[in-house]
Amino acid sequence: MKIPRIIIYLTLCSQIFAQETFPVNGVAETFEPIYAFTNANIISSPGVKYKNSTLIVQGNKILALDSNLNIPKGAIIYDLDGDYIYPSFIDLYSDYGLPKAKKGKYHYRPQYKSNKTGAYHWNEAVHPEINAGNEFSSNHKQAESYLSNGFGAVVTHTQDGILRGSAALVALSKKSDNENLLVRECAAFYSFKKGMSTQKNPTSLMGSISLVRQTFLDAEWYKSQKDQNNLSYDAFINQQKLPQIFALNDELDYSRLYKIADEFEIDFIAKGNGKEFLRVTEIADTDFPVIIPINFPNAYEVSNPETADWISLEKLKYWELAPYNPAILAQNKIKMCITSSGIKDSADFLKNLRIAITKGLSKEDALAALTTTPASLISMENILGSLKTGMLANFIITSNDIFEKGEIYENWNLGEQNIVNKKQVFDIRGYYTFNSDEFKNKSIVIKGELSKPKAIFYQLDSAAIITNLSQNKLNLSNYDGSFRAIGKFINGKINGRYQNKNGEYYNFSMVRDSLFFKKEKQLTNNELNPATPKTWFPNKAFGFENPPKQRNVLFKNATIWTNEAEGILQNSDVIISKGKIIAIGSLLSPLDYFKEDEFETIDASNLHLTSGIIDEHSHIAISRGVNEASQAVSAEVRIGDVINPNDHNIYRQLSGGAVASQLLHGSANPVGGQSAIIKLRWGSDAEEMKIKNADQFIKFALGENVKQSNWGDLENERFPQTRMGVEQVFYDAFYRARAYENAWDDYNNLSSVERKKAIAPREDLELNALVEILNSERFITCHSYVQSEINMLMHVADSMGFKINTFTHILEGYKVANKMKEHGAGGSTFSDWWAYKFEVNEAIPYNATLLNDAGVVTAINSDDAEMGRRLNQEAAKAVKYGKTSEEDAWKMITLNPAILLHLDKKMGSIKIGKDADIVLWTDNPLSVYAKVTQTYVDGKLMFDVEFDKKLQTRDKKERIRIIKLMSKDKSGSKKIQPKQTIEKLYHCDTEYEE
Amino acid sequence: MITIIMALVLTVSVHGQKPTLFIGAKAHLGNGEVIQNSAISINKGKFDLIADASIIRIDPNAFDTIYRIYGKHIYPSFILPNTTLGITEIDAVRASRDYKETGGLNPNIRSLIAYNTDSKLAKTVRSNGVLIAQVTPRGGLVSGQSSIMYLDGNNWEDAAIKADDGIHINWPNSYYNTGWWAEPGETKQNKEYENKIHEFEKLFTQAKAYESSLNVIDLKMESMRGLFNGTKNLYIHANSSSDMRDAIDFAENYHVKNIIIVGGEDALSIANILVEKNIPVILNRVHRLPKSQDSPVSEPFEQAKRLNDVGVLFCLSYEGDMEAMGARNLSFTAGTTIAYGQEYEKAVQSITLNTAKILGIENVVGSIEYGKNATFFISSGDALDMRTNNVEQAFINGVAIDLNNHQKELFNKYR
Repeated sequence: MKIPRIIIYLTLCSQIFAQETFPVNGVAETFEPIYAFTNANIISSPGVKYKNSTLIVQGNKILALDSNLNIPKGAIIYDLDGDYIYPSFIDLYSDYGLPKAKKGKYHYRPQYKSNKTGAYHWNEAVHPEINAGNEFSSNHKQAESYLSNGFGAVVTHTQDGILRGSAALVALSKKSDNENLLVRECAAFYSFKKGMSTQKNPTSLMGSISLVRQTFLDAEWYKSQKDQNNLSYDAFINQQKLPQIFALNDELDYSRLYKIADEFEIDFIAKGNGKEFLRVTEIADTDFPVIIPINFPNAYEVSNPETADWISLEKLKYWELAPYNPAILAQNKIKMCITSSGIKDSADFLKNLRIAITKGLSKEDALAALTTTPASLISMENILGSLKTGMLANFIITSNDIFEKGEIYENWNLGEQNIVNKKQVFDIRGYYTFNSDEFKNKSIVIKGELSKPKAIFYQLDSAAIITNLSQNKLNLSNYDGSFRAIGKFINGKINGRYQNKNGEYYNFSMVRDSLFFKKEKQLTNNELNPATPKTWFPNKAFGFENPPKQRNVLFKNATIWTNEAEGILQNSDVIISKGKIIAIGSLLSPLDYFKEDEFETIDASNLHLTSGIIDEHSHIAISRGVNEASQAVSAEVRIGDVINPNDHNIYRQLSGGAVASQLLHGSANPVGGQSAIIKLRWGSDAEEMKIKNADQFIKFALGENVKQSNWGDLENERFPQTRMGVEQVFYDAFYRARAYENAWDDYNNLSSVERKKAIAPREDLELNALVEILNSERFITCHSYVQSEINMLMHVADSMGFKINTFTHILEGYKVANKMKEHGAGGSTFSDWWAYKFEVNEAIPYNATLLNDAGVVTAINSDDAEMGRRLNQEAAKAVKYGKTSEEDAWKMITLNPAILLHLDKKMGSIKIGKDADIVLWTDNPLSVYAKVTQTYVDGKLMFDVEFDKKLQTRDKKERIRIIKLMSKDKSGSKKIQPKQTIEKLYHCDTEYEE
Repeated sequence: MITIIMALVLTVSVHGQKPTLFIGAKAHLGNGEVIQNSAISINKGKFDLIADASIIRIDPNAFDTIYRIYGKHIYPSFILPNTTLGITEIDAVRASRDYKETGGLNPNIRSLIAYNTDSKLAKTVRSNGVLIAQVTPRGGLVSGQSSIMYLDGNNWEDAAIKADDGIHINWPNSYYNTGWWAEPGETKQNKEYENKIHEFEKLFTQAKAYESSLNVIDLKMESMRGLFNGTKNLYIHANSSSDMRDAIDFAENYHVKNIIIVGGEDALSIANILVEKNIPVILNRVHRLPKSQDSPVSEPFEQAKRLNDVGVLFCLSYEGDMEAMGARNLSFTAGTTIAYGQEYEKAVQSITLNTAKILGIENVVGSIEYGKNATFFISSGDALDMRTNNVEQAFINGVAIDLNNHQKELFNKYR
């Protein structure tokens, strides 16, 4: 075993000096000593420990390690005396040694084009050409903070923009930049945040997602053509071989990224934000390796009960659970790296790492997350991340187990020593006898921490006096300055001199009579294996601990609003099972359907039973931006990409009898974005919310919002600024779409031989959506107010051969009701809103009735989270103002929106075979006095007035439990002042995400 | 019983004056009482007889006109406090917005002179039973003075019930939020809070001193006079419990006679103070979302009943988004409080007599009681439920008003 290793020494000794190409000023330093670290506990990689062993290093490489090594002649020997050695850590998410991205000049007017000159991408936030290797230079001050936390190499990139560019792998030594730059391009970075770009696009998360997708497509096309050069695509194409790391904002972004990964077949590595535990199964399903921060939130200041009331239960629960995040990810077998990014005070990194260990993260998993996993993700596992012959000499020396209380003494980087904390070699603690001319045989004790001991000199004071120790030099003084001493510890004795209160010097000597041993606190079993607190779905007030299950229910003796030919049935029964309505009638016998104990009976005497409310126009449950307002046509953006299942407004809508909503893009531009139709499945994830196989819709808009009338006088640049321009936007878009479709048809009709020679048209997500409209595969719901524009859009559609499915808002629909009927358009309107802007001056509360009377399929919608939970009252206004029949009015919020959304085969009425989306009311549901007692979605009880009370009690208990924990918080971290959150909600004309 | 005996006596006294009689309706008097089968007469613009028709005998010859309205409902005018109705028309059109003066301290500003008696909005609002509004300026620390107006008249002078009834101040938030709403930052103790309070102190201290000074005319100081002698109300717009406590202490310190809280999101938590000091509250719109994501969904709906139970005097308002055009829904918000526990006539009271009491006009309007202005309406159904609300006739000071409006005209054109 020993012989081959000596051979390795020889081969490695003759290594090339890194600075070989540089001229030398003075004489060359050619000697490269060999270092031997003996008597060490070496953890060479996670789970591999060498006790009492030796590590041998020369230059920037490891020569060998083992328990039984011959130390080469002339080696410099460090006897570590039981200290620990670990491979130093790797941080994949850093901006070390790079200039910070700067924000461009602030513009008073909107900036629609990129300010960047040169042959680059059209969008300022897309800059794959930025190359960290080119910008890198070592920054010793910044390096120190990494080194002090045990890091030896970082992957650094400028953390700005959407396609951010490539990252470099760098070491942290004081050697030259040439040596520190290990790999010039080691990963490509992405995010959904546009960062410092001052260009308008994108204004929303969904816009960012579309921009990423379109850029990927454009790069494909770019490869095939030769007409133009684009340095951004060149760089991007070149980066495809690198690891692809995507920085995400929150736990919901994982499924968003997953869809992109799936579409373009890319293996992303996700950089998260520490909230992964909230959706851990969903994240495990993505199979992404993750990079997570450990910047656990500080406790809130809860001493003032009134301001503590402002802290949501969501935040309280997050505070409690966040430190469990790494452990939960490990338990779910998610490949994980830990980054120090996001930690404000560098001293918190190791502290938080140890907290994560106490919350159940194993030391092996922790070490892997800091060494071997990051190394292998960037394919550097043969150079970094563990201690093996031939690998870089990046390692740390610690006093003890680093995951418990080990202090880092040294961090060796590229074979160069960096002292982090000076090792206290001398243990001067003990019980001494003090002698001087003044004091004879007095007792003095030095106890406490090895490197920070405290002396108690009973003669002077019963409390500890000021004690400063540096190696074996000691400095003692009492608090009134009447005793100030210096001394030196040698072989159990301290000799020195002091000055007394009269300014006279005396010599003293102290002899240690016995040693001092500090008692270690034993952790209780509870502290070692803490029970992970439960995560609710979502993890906030009214969240479910267990998702509701489908039930078999007999509703007995109800007044049933069928929305079918039967009308309103008195004293009748409904049975639901497996999420469907299976029987309707009077005196139904449940035993015909179920066994004795397989169903429940609900006495619905005095209750009204209806199908659930469907809101055709809603903006709840949307993440980070409802409008992509940067372009007149943004058909490529999809609300379906940004559903937020954590929005508490979902629960609120359920409490008002709503079961489904169409989540719409806003109305900031003529062609908005693609909508998502969801059922209000509170507790589910974003994808589960969507109604499967629902037809696809898109939001259009007309009038003041799209011509930016109320955006201020500076917003007069974007076309269109008049209704006249709006028409032209539509014709232009659809003619472009038709030409695009033809180009693809031509291409697809080529023989396979011809096709190989031809260049495929560029795939365009915006035009794809418009082509779907032309082919009646995607349906329009159009925000509209006045008759002129409504009429215009129907003409556009007729001339292009498709239909407008729905006019939404449609406040002047009553003026063109017959034309709408003839065209085949439906209307989804407000009951009584008007006069909030000029174009709704002729809105009338009789509109729904007039449309309905003309035979137009008419719905009443909310566009508002508050109104969305009492749409029944809004429907009643059609009875009040227009004298619509009660049954017809009720259909306006149930069956009619179902028809408009093409869901009426499954939803919208009480009919055998339809979804069991059922609401029970205490009164005629059109009455202001009606309250919901239960709301079922797919046969699952999602809201129950009694269960709601239980949840309130549970939430209150949970809140006070965590506040008590918080009050006891002794972490020493700065407490956060509670926030008074004022909820704002998205409406059609909410413009910005950030 | 006393009412009925009084009424019998009155029957005799109206002989010869030829009043108008409304008979058969369910009368919700606004003071918490209801008469199932009522006989109500008006004379010279005032309520005269208010009686139970099933008990008294009616002499048809004693009346000019008799409205037989069996099965219908009579209510006193609903009163809309704290509103910009009449001083705004179309939210997005700047030229039509007349409610926010520049400058932070405007106690001298008067809403009534900007009041548009032909507001299209007002005509739709009164079609649902709201015939009286407290027209209120907004903005700044001291927004200015409100006035109480009939939603009818040829000019503001004729329409006024009470000019300059009080001064509205906006109590600053003691905490404020950094960041913006999509990405909120920390809440910080509002350093400006102290400064703003100091501005109030300066204004009120000077106003106190001005009371006894005779040298100069200062418009601001002059306008403040009424706060100390009780001729003007002080409306303090505040919502959090700590802000309301501070505001009340402040006003008492300056011996302000009539203190009224406007907003009062946290009113329940300081109910003991409100009751003890007799301070009423003009509540936020009932149809609002709960205060926080942790709050019970129905919290805003239940507030009225709970305040009622602890004895706080309150009325309902409709302040907020689209408050002017949406004010026609005021009575439905009262309806919602009934669904959540409030007793029906108490709910009526919270938009009639309570409001009148709080605004200081209960001697002339607010209920159907002898001698009060005959400002009321008839609905064919329950006016607090949108399913049945149907205002057929409305009277201001005994005169029937035209219930046609811009929207009905369009309806009639296109139906």
